[in-house]
Parts: sequence; structure tokens; C-alpha cells
Amino acid sequence: MQENIERSGQSRNRPSFRTFLFTASSYRKLAGMSAWLLHRFTGLALVAYLVLHIMGLRSLADPAAFEIYVTTYRNPLFKIAEAILLGSVAFHAFNGVRIMIQDAFYRSERQRQLFYGVLVLTFVVTLVGGLSIIFPYFIAPMLP
Amino acid sequence: MSSQNENQEVRSPVRFKAFGWLMQRITGVGLLLFLGLHFWLQHMPNGFLATAEEYNSILRELGSTGQEFADAIAEGALKEALPGEHVITYSKVLERLQTPLWKMIDVMLLFLALSHGMLGVSRSLGDYMHNERLRKIAVAAGWTVSVLLAWQGTMAVMSVGMN
Repeated sequence: MQENIERSGQSRNRPSFRTFLFTASSYRKLAGMSAWLLHRFTGLALVAYLVLHIMGLRSLADPAAFEIYVTTYRNPLFKIAEAILLGSVAFHAFNGVRIMIQDAFYRSERQRQLFYGVLVLTFVVTLVGGLSIIFPYFIAPMLP
Repeated sequence: MSSQNENQEVRSPVRFKAFGWLMQRITGVGLLLFLGLHFWLQHMPNGFLATAEEYNSILRELGSTGQEFADAIAEGALKEALPGEHVITYSKVLERLQTPLWKMIDVMLLFLALSHGMLGVSRSLGDYMHNERLRKIAVAAGWTVSVLLAWQGTMAVMSVGMN
């Protein structure tokens, strides 16, 4: 731990993926660190999804192709992925709002409470929306 | 370094970065509104999707009119809706996009999402890519992909119901 802190201090002026790993393992403010990390991770994942999504829109040129395209994504596994997508969007959106609120009003004093607020909101939205997405696939068949 | 010198240090790359930060905020707020709306319309059970009954009757109708659809249903590429399921279907998309305002909203959402996403990627790359030449190549590649995707997406949205 101590060694990592020193190494990250030495290489502070030269950010790189290795430096990032050292910093991540030595960082003590877990809330801020995980907010930043999750924001970047969900952001990059959403860009990957966006590219696939836009390319899939080509099927709109042919009604039959579009129906087949949509049916592919009605597979139960894709429905779980859809709930994860909702979670990523929700976290990225709420955390983005947190960043804006922090910049405008709080600087860093309230960042931990705000981050926990982000987590709670993300959890609630993902739970409610995710359940309604997977309901016909996983929950309705289990009901008597 | 005197403050005068520091002012002179604010060169175009710095301003360019600050502009990127501002754009990220503006597109972020736009996405908050319009991506929220988009997700609600396309992923949550509501009138912009077909209910299971509607979808199954659409499928039966399509299967009886076109050979392409009949084959797809026989192969299992088109599946009946489960009870309670809400499905995105072409006729519902067509119905919505017949309103020019919806087309404008969708194209705007496309540009908001693309610019916010690509700006985010370029900032992430900037954190880890130190080689100036590599970074220039990556930025050029990013612009190329963005322009192609913007073109493709705009064409896809605008051409619905126009042929």
C-alpha cells in the first residue's frame, strides 16, 4: 500500500494506465474514486452500445429486416442485457447530475452523501425498470 | 511565471478543451431529457409499443401477406409475443415517425448521443495516449466513425415512411 502511494506520487505528472492502477489501489476516498471509475466505465460501454444501435437502424429500410432485428433482441439474455443497459444509463445520468451539482454548489464537501444518493436512485430506477423489462420472460412464467 | 505570461499561455488547445467541457455539459443535459424520453418510449410498456395481442395479430397479418414474413416465422426468426410483453414493431415506429417533430427529436438525440459519446471517448484516450501522432490518428479515426454513424443514423430515421 505505502509503496503504491509513493509510486503513484512519483508518476503523478505522467498519467497512464499503469499509474492509474497504482493510484486506484492506494486511493482512500472510495466514494469519489468509484464514482469516477463507474462513470468512465459506463460511458465507454454506452458508446459501444450506441455504435451497435445506430448500425442496427439500417434495418429500418426494410420492414421484414426490422422485425427480424427486433426479434433477435427479444431473446431472454438480451432482456437481461437491456436491464443492465438501463442501470448503466441511470448511473451515468445521475452521476452526471451529481457532478454538475457539485461544480455549481458544493465543491467537494457533500460529495460522499451525493454519491450515495446517486447509488440509491440508480438502484431504484434499475430495479423498477429492470423488473418491468424482464417480467414477461422470467417472472410471469413463475407465477401460478 | 507572472500572471501576464499565464494569460498568454491560454492558447487554442486549452480553449478547445474548455469548449469540449462545456459541450459535454450541454449535450449531457440534453441527453438527460431526451434519452430519458427515448428509453421510456422504447423500453417501457406503453402505447408506443405493440401489446402482445397487437403484435401477434400483426404477425399473423404479415405472415399471410408476404412470403418473406412467412419464411421468417417458419424459421423462428420472428417469434410470437409472450403474455404481457410489449414489442417494438415497424408499424408503431412508422406511426410515430410520420410526425416530423418526432423525426427531428430522434435526429437531435442521435447527434446529442454521438457528440457526448465521442467526446467522452476522446477524453479517455487523452488520459492514456501520450504519443502525439497516435493520438492524432485516433482523433481522425474517431471523427471518421462519427461522421459515418451520423450519416447512417440520420438517413435511417429520415427515410422511414418515405419510400
